[in-house]
Amino acid sequence: MNVLEVKEIHKSFGSKKVLDGVSFSVPENCVFGFIGRNGAGKTTTMRAVLGLLETDGGEIDVCGQRVSYGNTPTNGCIGYLPDVPEFYGYMNAREYLALCGRITGMDRGDVKKRSSELLELVGLDKESHRIKGYSRGMKQRLGIAQALINRPKLLILDEPTSALDPVGRKEILDIISAAKEQTSVIFSTHILSDVERICSRVAFLEGGKTAFEGGIDEIRAMKGDTALELSLAMSSDTDKLKAAFPAAELREGKLIFPKASDSDCSELMAFLAAQNIPITRLERHESDLEDIFMEVIGK
Amino acid sequence: MKGFVAFFEKEVRELVRTKRLMILLAVFVIVGIMNPAVAKLTPKLFELMADELSEQGIVLGEVKVTALDSWTQFVKNMPMALIVMLIMFGGIYTSEYTKGTLIPLLTKGLSRGSVVLSKLAAMLLTWSAGLWLCYGITYFYSDWYWDNSAVNRLGFACFCWWLFGVLMICCIVFFSSFAGSGAQVLLGCGAVYFAMTMAGLYSRAKEYLPTRLCDSAPLYKGELVPSDYTAAAVITAAISAVLVLAALPLTHRRQV
Repeated sequence: MNVLEVKEIHKSFGSKKVLDGVSFSVPENCVFGFIGRNGAGKTTTMRAVLGLLETDGGEIDVCGQRVSYGNTPTNGCIGYLPDVPEFYGYMNAREYLALCGRITGMDRGDVKKRSSELLELVGLDKESHRIKGYSRGMKQRLGIAQALINRPKLLILDEPTSALDPVGRKEILDIISAAKEQTSVIFSTHILSDVERICSRVAFLEGGKTAFEGGIDEIRAMKGDTALELSLAMSSDTDKLKAAFPAAELREGKLIFPKASDSDCSELMAFLAAQNIPITRLERHESDLEDIFMEVIGK
Repeated sequence: MKGFVAFFEKEVRELVRTKRLMILLAVFVIVGIMNPAVAKLTPKLFELMADELSEQGIVLGEVKVTALDSWTQFVKNMPMALIVMLIMFGGIYTSEYTKGTLIPLLTKGLSRGSVVLSKLAAMLLTWSAGLWLCYGITYFYSDWYWDNSAVNRLGFACFCWWLFGVLMICCIVFFSSFAGSGAQVLLGCGAVYFAMTMAGLYSRAKEYLPTRLCDSAPLYKGELVPSDYTAAAVITAAISAVLVLAALPLTHRRQV
């Protein structure tokens, strides 16, 4: 069953069309990467899923229930971390989690137990200061803890790693990976290396539409393209190679063999050995998400 | 209901920890002490000024102060305390909308109605505690120095003030459902007060207007009785209820 289904949603702000038919679905127990440039409409889509924004058309279902604008019951099974989370500075983390837990209808004992578990998960268990003194990274971690308090079926994270330093980013990604055991996660970002690290499915948002959706492996298989990059010791050998392999292109002093299969690779190595051509480097270059993203958005 | 209780507790904690409750109660205590103090000091002030005034040809007779003077000060000073409270509460809703602090809670299923009503409850609680504290202090000192029995309908007059404050708090609730900032909310409250004052110039409307509730002097002197205030009280209560009832669907549709 899909935890989240978004079908053809549209949204305009004045004359500006932000969403123009966004569709995707998030299956259970999956980390879903929602990728798009700044201003592509990622946050708008997420706010629509949460019923915080009225769409101009389309349907959104969370856990099989239709989302409506305003007070939507579907929020009961969602945990949400906004892009810039704001908390009450005069509370400490434990008090804030207690407030969140009680709002969701948990009893005090359960809230206490769950808060301790989550604060340990996000590494804030020894923090007794008030939230106003927290760093950005600490706020993001508390944000994930509050989003998980009621054991949601769907965890929505809006650019959780964008403003963090490399250490903070790694910590957040580790927490998300750990949270995957308990819930489905949808997380928006424009940092593609993060997506490659933890996501099993992705959707690219471009021009207000879902430009692509699929499993990470599926995307790689469909669009993936293994190229060989060869650096020669003597540039005088270049012509010899270009004559033998017409598909090869010379780029920045390197010979690139696009769409090279395993047999193409062994053929090239056999040729280099037979001709006694000295090389400095031969590398197989797997196309990464960035290449695919650029291809999808037509850059 | 669980959301309402949890959010109300959060509101009380916020009032205490941000020192707003302490400041407001201090204002009400100061006003409560000031009312009899000013009355008590008035003859002394006149005595000090007597020489200067006699040079100008003004001769003062003996100034006799009674509890009524202390309660007249209560009526004069209460608007100031009410305004301080309105300024402090002007941004109670809008600051949450603009900062985005409500978003994590609303997306957990907290209803917007609970937000509106629990903040209203916190404001009403503060206003009630502050007003009756001020009343109690003025009552105690006025009775200590003079005799309260010379003044009529003290409790009822204070109740009228309370009801008027409730109306102004309900104005905050209503304007906050669509205004963008605390300043806009206060502007709305100011406009309501201005409109009521303007309407009060028309003498036949006077007894039906909420501003009638602030006119305690005739009650103290026995010139008017509580039943003369019934129409204004009923209208004030009805407007307050309508403002809150209108704020609920408006807040529901509001983009946060």
